[in-house]
Amino acid sequence: MSSIDLTLKIWRQPNSDSLGSLETYTLNGVNTDMSFLEMLDVLNENLTKEGKDPVAFDHDCREGICGMCGAVVNGVAHGPEKEVTLCQLHMRHFSTGDVLVIEPFRSRAYPIKKDLLVDRSALDRIIQSGGYVSVNTGGTPDGNSLPISSQQAELAMDAAACIGCGACVASCPNGAAMLFTSAKISQLALLPQGQVERKQRALAMVAQMDKEGFGNCTNAKECEAVCPKGISIRNIARLNREYVKAVLSEG
Amino acid sequence: MWFVRFISSSIGKKIVMATTGLLLVLFLFTHAAGNATIFMSSEVFQDYANELHSHPLIVLVFSFSLLLIFLAHIVAGLYLFFENREESKSRYVVTTRVVENSFASRTMPYTGLFILLFLLVHIMGFTFSPEDVLISVTVKELLGNFFYSFFYIAAFIALFIHLSHGFWSMLQTFGVNHPRYNVFISRLTILIPLFFLLIFGGVALYFMTGLGANY
Repeated sequence: MSSIDLTLKIWRQPNSDSLGSLETYTLNGVNTDMSFLEMLDVLNENLTKEGKDPVAFDHDCREGICGMCGAVVNGVAHGPEKEVTLCQLHMRHFSTGDVLVIEPFRSRAYPIKKDLLVDRSALDRIIQSGGYVSVNTGGTPDGNSLPISSQQAELAMDAAACIGCGACVASCPNGAAMLFTSAKISQLALLPQGQVERKQRALAMVAQMDKEGFGNCTNAKECEAVCPKGISIRNIARLNREYVKAVLSEG
Repeated sequence: MWFVRFISSSIGKKIVMATTGLLLVLFLFTHAAGNATIFMSSEVFQDYANELHSHPLIVLVFSFSLLLIFLAHIVAGLYLFFENREESKSRYVVTTRVVENSFASRTMPYTGLFILLFLLVHIMGFTFSPEDVLISVTVKELLGNFFYSFFYIAAFIALFIHLSHGFWSMLQTFGVNHPRYNVFISRLTILIPLFFLLIFGGVALYFMTGLGANY
């Protein structure tokens, strides 16, 4: 079992209204088998024992599927490893002497609640505006009664892999929510169940996205590079097509 | 009105950038074809210019359309630049760009503004050049000046950088992104800007180096 010694610079901010700043902490003997969040747990245990306020951060499943955790580590959302969430990033990827600057996901649409904890409900409101299918209740349809080609199902599944962590917004130089919105629109636009509300969905979700104050996409590709689920910007191209088709006929 | 809603939406503004960008690239092709006659001889180039200006209505309509397209591209671009800057300024203490070769995408507004400066100099020099001097003579006089040519070549390099993100970005905005064509598109995104750099830069270099002394 090996361990490392780290210097952590963590964004501390008591609440949404106050100004925050970076606080420096030294953490020695970090087990390299720990995850990033477990490392923060250890830090918080030390802080609590010292009678200090522990660092607030979001987390839930800790197995990379819930989309709750996330922070910007040395300028990269979810840290330096590709296609992992912060909870699945292990300390073996760091070494003794490393200085880690840990900041919350930032966007005009993400108010900071406390420390690393941000309010991402703007993403929920995009979903509420149209990221669903309306299904009338009735008898359960037979399995396989709706034929869907394998390729189409795979593409829809690739888009549906989005866990809504919001790292795409945090890493976008313009704070755009295009990758998130495009994944949520694609997963339904690619399947027969999503056809009925297809155009209204594209119009409503883009309108809500703009209303929330997210920036404009300039195709910088940073979102795709940090996405823990490897969502491709091909979805953004699809969103652009969906939106133009919808606006020309029903906008 | 649906059109106003479309244009003012985030995707609508990008479509404006992409559409005007495409029209400007098409214009550059016609401009490059015309300029290429310089490499043949001053007579061929002068004949081409005379032929073009013997149809004043075409020149007028074309120029005004081009002015509108340019204005739309510049105004929408500046609007997006300032709107996005609101978001990005002083965001993180440490900022790391994960994407490699992001120089072109990061500098789009700056390369764009430099091309605009070039455009003003270029129009002052050639479009509003003295009526009584042949255009083939003006070309040689202006571009024979080392610093003038140097500025032109710098602008064409900026155009190369601008298009090396812009061309791909335009297709992405139009929704053209498919694994079957993406390699082809990424090649075109280098080849098309390179073509413009060779033709336009070649003309400037031709006079700058004195190769065009007997032109």
